[in-house]
Amino acid sequence: MSGDALLWLSFVLIGLATTLPRASFIVLGGRVRLPSVVQRALRYAPAAALAAIVAPDVLVVGGDFMPLNPRLAGVIAAVAAALLWRNPWLPFIAGMVVLLGLKRLLGA
Amino acid sequence: MSVSPFRTGAREGFYAFLPFSVGLIPWAMVTGMAMISTGFTPTQAMGMNLIVFAGTAQLGTLPLIGAGAPLWLIVVTALALNLRFIIFSAAIAQGFRGVGAPLRWYCGHLLTDGVFACCLEKMLKVEDPRWRLGYYLAPSLWSWALWQAFALIGVFAAGSIPKHWSLEFMASIALLVLLVPLAKQRPMLVAALTSGATAVLLRGMPLRLGLIVAIVVGIVAGFAAEHWQGKGEGA
Repeated sequence: MSGDALLWLSFVLIGLATTLPRASFIVLGGRVRLPSVVQRALRYAPAAALAAIVAPDVLVVGGDFMPLNPRLAGVIAAVAAALLWRNPWLPFIAGMVVLLGLKRLLGA
Repeated sequence: MSVSPFRTGAREGFYAFLPFSVGLIPWAMVTGMAMISTGFTPTQAMGMNLIVFAGTAQLGTLPLIGAGAPLWLIVVTALALNLRFIIFSAAIAQGFRGVGAPLRWYCGHLLTDGVFACCLEKMLKVEDPRWRLGYYLAPSLWSWALWQAFALIGVFAAGSIPKHWSLEFMASIALLVLLVPLAKQRPMLVAALTSGATAVLLRGMPLRLGLIVAIVVGIVAGFAAEHWQGKGEGA
């Protein structure tokens, strides 16, 4: 399969992995109930998945654990902005300014 | 002649959601830019945007697609990011009684965090199914249109921004900002920290399997933390 076809196949599968959970109980109606233990455990899946994707992106440089890098500083600035203000643009502006500013300072 | 219940519901739903919908704009633009910096053509980017219609699942799978991860891992990650929708779907299901099956599928496809949070209460209270359908569809279709329009703007803006601006970093910021409100609950924070640390420790595992292990470990840790917290409070 060509790279392009594989990419479109992955879009369709990600789409199914999105629409099926969304439509699940809306389509089934009130006929089926989810056990409460399962419901409680599922609540942690998104937070765990988000952290597992981001952490290596921010803490690992070229395969090595290197927490002191411009990306971590940028991410801290973005999270601080998200905690302090409600404006949805600020985390992106703060994070990018810190990342690009530090990169320029370090000459990277 | 009376105004149709569908229209009354649609108007009310639209105005209830309108102020929140502004928050979608940066997400859509960032997602558009992130798809281009992953290496997609504008057609591929908008194709993904139309087929998937889910910021978290799109932003979360982009780093995996970019790294050439195997397809099954990409799909499992998307599922993990979307599991919350099973709970949302179960919670709002009663709001669709009296609505036909094809429309239910379409409404399910359009379900987003924002519309769920905004519409849940009245969806469960109001009797008239036509009113409920309007009340749900108007903000959902508005979200859909905003999402597509601003992702398209992001797709074209990304092409005119130089590579050394590290635009792909916007995707990391976006994922973390999604995590912030979740992590305000202690067990959720435990789940995130455990999962993040595990992912870093296991980064050398083949096929990025460490990611799946990290997610499972994170869920278990969050669940355990919830259990202990409950005991500490004597509940």
